[in-house]
Amino acid sequence: MICCVRTPHPSLVAAWLTAPALRGCSLVIGGFAHERALVTTASAEARAHGVLDGMSLNQAQQFSPDAIFQPVDEEATARVRQSLLSTLHHFTPDVAAGEDPGCAFLRLDRLALRWPDRSQLLAAISRAVEAVIGVTPTIGVASSIFVSKVAADHATIGVPAIVEPEKTRAYLARYPIDVLPLDDDLREYLELLGLRTIGRLQTISRPAFRRQFGVKALDVHDLAHGNERRRWRSWRPPVRIEASEPLEPPVDNTEALQFIARALAERVSASLLAHGLGTRAVRITLTQESASPLPIEVSFAYPMTTAGELFDGIRPRLLRASIVAPLERITLRAGRLEAAYVRQPGLLIRRDGFRESIADAVARLQEEYGPSLIQRAEVRPDAAPLVDHRILWKPA
Amino acid sequence: MTGIGGWPVGRLSLLAGPRGSGKRTLAQRSVAAASRESPVAYVDFPNRLDPEFLNYFDARLDRVLVVRPSSLKAGMASVRVLARAGVELICIDLPRTRSAGLDGELPHLLHRAAEADCTLLLIHDAEADDAIRYYASMILAFQRNAWVFRRDGDLEGMLVDATVVKNRLAPPGLKRRLVIPYPIP
Repeated sequence: MICCVRTPHPSLVAAWLTAPALRGCSLVIGGFAHERALVTTASAEARAHGVLDGMSLNQAQQFSPDAIFQPVDEEATARVRQSLLSTLHHFTPDVAAGEDPGCAFLRLDRLALRWPDRSQLLAAISRAVEAVIGVTPTIGVASSIFVSKVAADHATIGVPAIVEPEKTRAYLARYPIDVLPLDDDLREYLELLGLRTIGRLQTISRPAFRRQFGVKALDVHDLAHGNERRRWRSWRPPVRIEASEPLEPPVDNTEALQFIARALAERVSASLLAHGLGTRAVRITLTQESASPLPIEVSFAYPMTTAGELFDGIRPRLLRASIVAPLERITLRAGRLEAAYVRQPGLLIRRDGFRESIADAVARLQEEYGPSLIQRAEVRPDAAPLVDHRILWKPA
Repeated sequence: MTGIGGWPVGRLSLLAGPRGSGKRTLAQRSVAAASRESPVAYVDFPNRLDPEFLNYFDARLDRVLVVRPSSLKAGMASVRVLARAGVELICIDLPRTRSAGLDGELPHLLHRAAEADCTLLLIHDAEADDAIRYYASMILAFQRNAWVFRRDGDLEGMLVDATVVKNRLAPPGLKRRLVIPYPIP
């Protein structure tokens, strides 16, 4: 069984967490009223006045003149979503993030031993979510992601909607076809044929539906029967890989700094290897004794894992950093983590596979020795009679 | 002629000879041919590379990285980094003056080249140092022999005597007389 935990849009929750006084107010998220932007989400009070997601802010203000308009706080929104998923991850690692940002899914099958009573489990999930983001979610439990989401959408707070597998078809039958993921053409076509509820759609056989609407529409037919072929994509909590070293006494020469950076690169590399990850960006923070911290961003063309590769990228940036005071601390943080780059023996792949690594090597050399170090020539035979004019040199 | 069907992969080959004996032409033809298959680099210390000449031999100029270093250190660092990044052939055109510090760089260079299966070609106008001669797996010595004229009397090219002075992969001592044609404008 799959449980869908549904909360209001995370940007709305973020706004409530930032300013609790906004709860109960007519609140529209997406931008300020005078801006040319669309409504991302709105509180229930604003919706009661007719505000809908996706309408222009100007229109929303006409519907709800007293509403408070706020832009989306991307960072806070991401934090809320992360908190919701992390909270559910404490119950089971089988957590998936929904396409709707306020939705998250859990597989309950493996929790039967730990939580024999399902209602207690659902109550615990509800309490845990409320404790973290301050909003009580609605919960739907069913045999598939789609049905559980429909159940959660129509459940009331504190009363989970549970759809047993054998009752799925009957449960869906009463809902309008709008709950299905239909494109505009198919919706219009179904409405023209008088098929306005899922129950009516269920009466059509699969081969007949296929003949009438094509192979692509079969997914809709399957969903209407509660059968879902969507793959479960487990969400994994973010990995934070960071190494830091206090410098006692403060360091004021680059040789010592390089030595420490190398050691930190080895520590970061060990963590990356342990997770099977590679990094495409490293952020170095140099904490200076009597000046503001100096952040340095190093980007890589492809995911790096080994200490040598990391240090090769870091070293030239450290040498060129404008350090004005002795350093008290150096921190290396790996960002943009991806699956580790797997190198294959050169015999089995064409060397063109190294195009990215060559581009990266060229970028690093140009960064260290100047852009004119490595160049590419372009010959324009008809450009001019003078040789110098016919050949165009440009940095590689 | 080399006994192994081409330049040795992952090793250093030296093209030696006086100026105008055809070693740079041969190297540039090799670079042009290799550029059709994979990325190549040309480390041009004396700034004598002529892209039009490479173009004449159907080189893929977008795959030829021309390194124009201001110092030996920058040049050697470029070779090491590019070899490790996957460049298959690197041609190093050394300055005519004796390069101090090259002896120390060569072992590192060769280590990188061997590790990455990168072919290194070294062009040296002057009498090569003992260190270069020692680390080179193959030495080709060039000597200009005669001009080649067409029947109508125009200069067609140059006749060059090439000798494999040293070869660690096949028996050395082979001699060939090569005709190096000049590009037709």
